[in-house]
Amino acid sequence: MTNIELIENGEERVVKKFQETRKTSPLNPKLASINEKALKRFETLKFPHRKHEMFSFVDTKDLASTDFQYRYGPESPLNPELLKDFIYPESRDSVIVIVDGRYDTALSNTSRLDKTIELKSLDEAIGDAELNNYLLDTVDREEDVFASLNGAFLRDGLMIHVLSNSQIERPLQILHVSTGSKGSPVTTVPRVIVKLENDTKLDLIIQSIGIDGNYFLNSIQDFILDKSATLNLVQWQSDPNNSWFFSKSWITLSEDSQFKSTTASNGNRLTRHHYHVRMTGEKADLSLNGISVLCDQEQVHNYVRVHHEAPDCRSDQLFKNIIQDEGRSSIDTTVIVHEGAQLTESHQLINNLLLSDDGVADTKPNLMIYADDVKCDHGATIGQISEDQLFYLKSRGLAEDEAKTLLTSSFANTVLQEIDCPSLKARLKETLLNKLGVKDV
Amino acid sequence: MLEINNLRAGFEGSEILKGISLTVNKGEVHSIMGPNGSGKSTLSKILVGHPSYEVMSGTITYEGKDLLELEAEERAQAGLFLAYQYPVEIPGVNNAEFLRMAYNAKLKKEGKEEVDPLDFDDILNEKMKLLGMDQKYRERSVNDGFSGGEKKKNEILQMAILQPKLTILDEIDSGLDIDALRVVANGINKLVNKDSALIIITHFPRLLEYIEPDYVHVLSEGRIVTSGDKSLAHDLEARGYDHLLAKV
Ligand SMILES: Nc1ncnc2c1ncn2[C@@H]1O[C@H](COP(=O)(O)OP(=O)(O)O)[C@@H](O)[C@H]1O
Ligand SMILES: [Mg+2]
Repeated sequence: MTNIELIENGEERVVKKFQETRKTSPLNPKLASINEKALKRFETLKFPHRKHEMFSFVDTKDLASTDFQYRYGPESPLNPELLKDFIYPESRDSVIVIVDGRYDTALSNTSRLDKTIELKSLDEAIGDAELNNYLLDTVDREEDVFASLNGAFLRDGLMIHVLSNSQIERPLQILHVSTGSKGSPVTTVPRVIVKLENDTKLDLIIQSIGIDGNYFLNSIQDFILDKSATLNLVQWQSDPNNSWFFSKSWITLSEDSQFKSTTASNGNRLTRHHYHVRMTGEKADLSLNGISVLCDQEQVHNYVRVHHEAPDCRSDQLFKNIIQDEGRSSIDTTVIVHEGAQLTESHQLINNLLLSDDGVADTKPNLMIYADDVKCDHGATIGQISEDQLFYLKSRGLAEDEAKTLLTSSFANTVLQEIDCPSLKARLKETLLNKLGVKDV
Repeated sequence: MLEINNLRAGFEGSEILKGISLTVNKGEVHSIMGPNGSGKSTLSKILVGHPSYEVMSGTITYEGKDLLELEAEERAQAGLFLAYQYPVEIPGVNNAEFLRMAYNAKLKKEGKEEVDPLDFDDILNEKMKLLGMDQKYRERSVNDGFSGGEKKKNEILQMAILQPKLTILDEIDSGLDIDALRVVANGINKLVNKDSALIIITHFPRLLEYIEPDYVHVLSEGRIVTSGDKSLAHDLEARGYDHLLAKV
């Protein structure tokens, strides 16, 4: 079969796979209605063909035409030694390891977590009608075809529930490990739901790593913040080159809640972060930052929709990309200020640093405003290293290379300096700058 | 120390400096004055090797070497320093870290061991005290969001740390109030000695009351139209450029 035929039959192939998978290794009966609904949704949405509004800058042909095997849990047990470097000292006794989409209690260490945090598998938690309805609702409202695939093949997931009035001191870490494949390509569909009740605070680190490549990590994450909850989230997409990474984040922010997130991406064949944010309570505060450092043919795309549904909320976005070789990035972000969401304040800023002639940085910041008393702006820049700054440093005796390193790292620093966890911040800086062949200073 | 001989230079083919000759010896303080647009900043940036400017003819010799053959960083490492009229802002680069890198570049050139952040802290502290600078300027990004006066102080702080042989101050007095000017001038006076030289570019004679020049040159339309001792500066203050330029 040629590639073209495969794409044309992509949807059929997925439906067939769904039926096969159910026969050979049954999905979780408790999630059956979610699976069925999501598959229907998938059939309606279909893989993006040509110009799809949601994938303007993202070529998904490759993904739609690949016949992925669905995997849940690794084929053979994982050597814990492999994970050592990816568990940060600050979260050594509060780390959740998810291997190929399955929560691995043996590799995890949650000894520090007390009764203020409940950890449950979806299998356990789904009995709760509210949760079940929430999940079904997200399936209904899903517009992202790849996220609907997650729902269709979901077998289990993880629910992290922070009970009201608890301030969690040290960070909780989630480590997604994809074992990958030496043979035919595999895909996993993890789902993690993080719910913060009233007056809580949590620092959360989510990182994805891979052993062998040749996998498609297709995850959904939910962040539900009740009144006066604060979540500081740091995400790091650090999968190997030969992989695909999609994540869909449903973010719901109630009154006075604060969601602060910094996402760093190494890039790979195709990474796409999709954030769907609803600010449903007054005075909610969102800060969404992203940094990616791309070389070779790596790609990172961001698709952001922020809905200001309640008055007096604030959202800030800052996305930065450093692109060399034939790297490719895009930021497609729209802020929607709903009717009645007066006193909204919203800022969107995109800065690209292009270090090569062949790199591509697409930007599309957008605003849709249906209220009159708002303060909103957006901007995007694409530039090289500033000649004036470079000269200033050289005229103080810094060698050209040294000056360029300093300027490149400073570009990334304005995003990375927002990260609290020191060992993670240091690791991130080192890794990202190493990619550019420069050392941190 | 510095010998400029019949320098013609400009920008994208247009000539701004139309034949400048100037000799500066060790231990001397020179002042270059002149109306706006006469080419003072152009001259100073050409001296430190700014790539936007083009030298059409003439020579510049610095400590026996052909200055025009040296890269900007080599000129800095050879002890040449320009305090810019408009210092560049560099968001994201920590000021103290930048100052340490500049200091270490100099040490490296001199074949000395580089200093770590802790040792550098003491050096930086002392110099900041000398200039009456608030500690917060250590942690902030280089010139980022600094007021005009703060940027000028930060330039002199760099001078204090690098201890250059030949310093050019381009309108260091603009943006400084009278008190700050006194502090900065005192600092500069402490930094110059018989082995170093200073070129003060200004179009206000006020600064020259604090740092007394040995020679004053007046630059107009890319030429040095007259030179003299510091009485020339007083003359300018009393009667203005028009009078002088009319005479020429
Ligand atoms: N980078 C530049 N681009 C274009 N013109 C310039 C540039 N730098 C200087 N000039 C021109 O050169 C002349 C001298 O400018 P400048 O050296 O800044 O004068 P001064 O410092 O004496 O006020 C002015 O006419 C100015 O417009
Ligand atoms: Mg000037």
